[in-house]
Amino acid sequence: MIGRDQMHRASALLTLMLLILGFAMASPAFFSVNNGLTILLQTSVIGLLGIGLTLVIITGGIDLSVGSVLALSGVVSAMSVKAGLPVMPAMCVGIIAGAACGAFNGVVITRLRIPPFVATLGMMLIARGVALQLTGAAPISQLGEGFGWLGNGALFRMVEMQPNGFPRVIFPGVPYPAILLLVVAIAATYLLRRRRIGRHLYATGSNEEAARLSGVKVDWTKMYAYTMSGALAGLAGNVLMSRLVTAQPSEGVMYELDAIAAAVIGGASLSGGVGTISGTMIGAFIIGILRNGLNMAGVSAFIQQIVIGLVVIGAVWIDQVRNRR
Amino acid sequence: MSQQPLVEMIDIEKHFGGIRAVEHVSIDLYPGEVVGLLGHNGAGKSCLMRILAGAMIPSSGEIRVGGTPVRFGTPIDARDHGIETIYQTLALADHLDAPANLFLGRELRTRFGNLDEARMLRAAREVLARLNPNFRNLRDPVSSLSGGQRQVIAIARAIYFDTKVLIMDEPTAALGPSETAMVADLIRKLRADGIGIFLVSHDMHDVFELCDRVIVMNKGRIVGAHRIDEVTKDDVLSLIVKGELPADWSARNLEAAQ
Repeated sequence: MIGRDQMHRASALLTLMLLILGFAMASPAFFSVNNGLTILLQTSVIGLLGIGLTLVIITGGIDLSVGSVLALSGVVSAMSVKAGLPVMPAMCVGIIAGAACGAFNGVVITRLRIPPFVATLGMMLIARGVALQLTGAAPISQLGEGFGWLGNGALFRMVEMQPNGFPRVIFPGVPYPAILLLVVAIAATYLLRRRRIGRHLYATGSNEEAARLSGVKVDWTKMYAYTMSGALAGLAGNVLMSRLVTAQPSEGVMYELDAIAAAVIGGASLSGGVGTISGTMIGAFIIGILRNGLNMAGVSAFIQQIVIGLVVIGAVWIDQVRNRR
Repeated sequence: MSQQPLVEMIDIEKHFGGIRAVEHVSIDLYPGEVVGLLGHNGAGKSCLMRILAGAMIPSSGEIRVGGTPVRFGTPIDARDHGIETIYQTLALADHLDAPANLFLGRELRTRFGNLDEARMLRAAREVLARLNPNFRNLRDPVSSLSGGQRQVIAIARAIYFDTKVLIMDEPTAALGPSETAMVADLIRKLRADGIGIFLVSHDMHDVFELCDRVIVMNKGRIVGAHRIDEVTKDDVLSLIVKGELPADWSARNLEAAQ
């Protein structure tokens, strides 16, 4: 496990380096502090979703609902703000809504014995429908400056007032979403490597029957994974809506595919039992940099879709080849 | 027998809809005894053992451990009463290493609730070395180990935790000759320690080599329960295939008694 896992991560890391090198040569603007920060911001959303999906994929499941749950959570947070809640508690309500969607997935999968693919496909439609119904498909704006703090703020940002009255940014700082991603990634790594629930996630995905016979509470473990995935989708939704300072019920369509691709590129196996957070982070940056770099190089959005599609197929193919051996 | 049985299963029944997998079966097991459980596939022996292991809930009947009635809802309940099972599939999580499998479901933890990897590794090394001095690769995923090594992990897991009753389902079916001999030695060692063993097997050689008693099941019922010295391999085969002893069996036994 260790040898092959590390090999896979090393090759993913190499791919990442090559991408950076390639894009840097194609466009000088790619390799700048500002663009680096843009990539960090863009990747933080995919990264948070990817961490949730890694937990689910390790159990041998899949979560197709995270893009829709992301939108629903952002909408719920915004509506809570509109209802008069302060920003922080309002965002917590949104994250809880995400966790509730995840828990619903978990119940459908463990109690009704519906395959994860179908259960979360259902939730994908349900959450999107609820988000659109609640808002009448219209974005919720004018949420106040406080709502934009999480997505647009940065640590150690240095701004100087110029004589002409306009601010000048001396150092853009480290964006809060990037810090959030780092913290969540470390927490999830700790969970997977040092806590019993992490061990049980791997065991469930590796051999569910064996785990059950060994006394692992398999259903509870799966509930945990899907609830966490929902909560992280909620967190990602809040980061994204905060960045826009607007809640968009139609935001996040197809994000689940980017997140799944991130996890699989990072070495998570769709047949379960394998996956690491560090791998998924590399995968998320590969996706983020691919999108950003193609943009910077002036590649049309249509071609971008084609490229990402091929990358997803390629990553899953690599997964298949790995399992056949 | 004056001794208290380790475990008794009394009038156990298991139905799946209209299908009767186990019908009015009663068996017991004494300390330091190896009881062979034989029968066709689907004769009900695996079903019976799953009930004893807590992996299946009987439709009716009673289980007693050390004379006290118990009720098993999950495998954990059975394990808490000292009943451990080695499944034919070994029930190992392939991506995890030996210590992780050994302690799966009952991980050792530090004061802060973290996994105590160091202590689990040490304990695993100790118990595995006792079973097989050549055991290395403790940190490799068990999928990369040989059949014999995997069997050793499964056995280690079953005997590490204060075991009284061991259920072994076809323990040698997937093993080579030297590994089979190793498992046979182990079974003798465990019997000498006073552990009671149910041996589910198709291998007549193993059964006659290791067992004190044989119980043969057919279509969910017990068709024969004998001390191993009362029967021959042909008698047991007849029980398995026809559900009855050969016609000359009682005559032969009378002769032997005289």
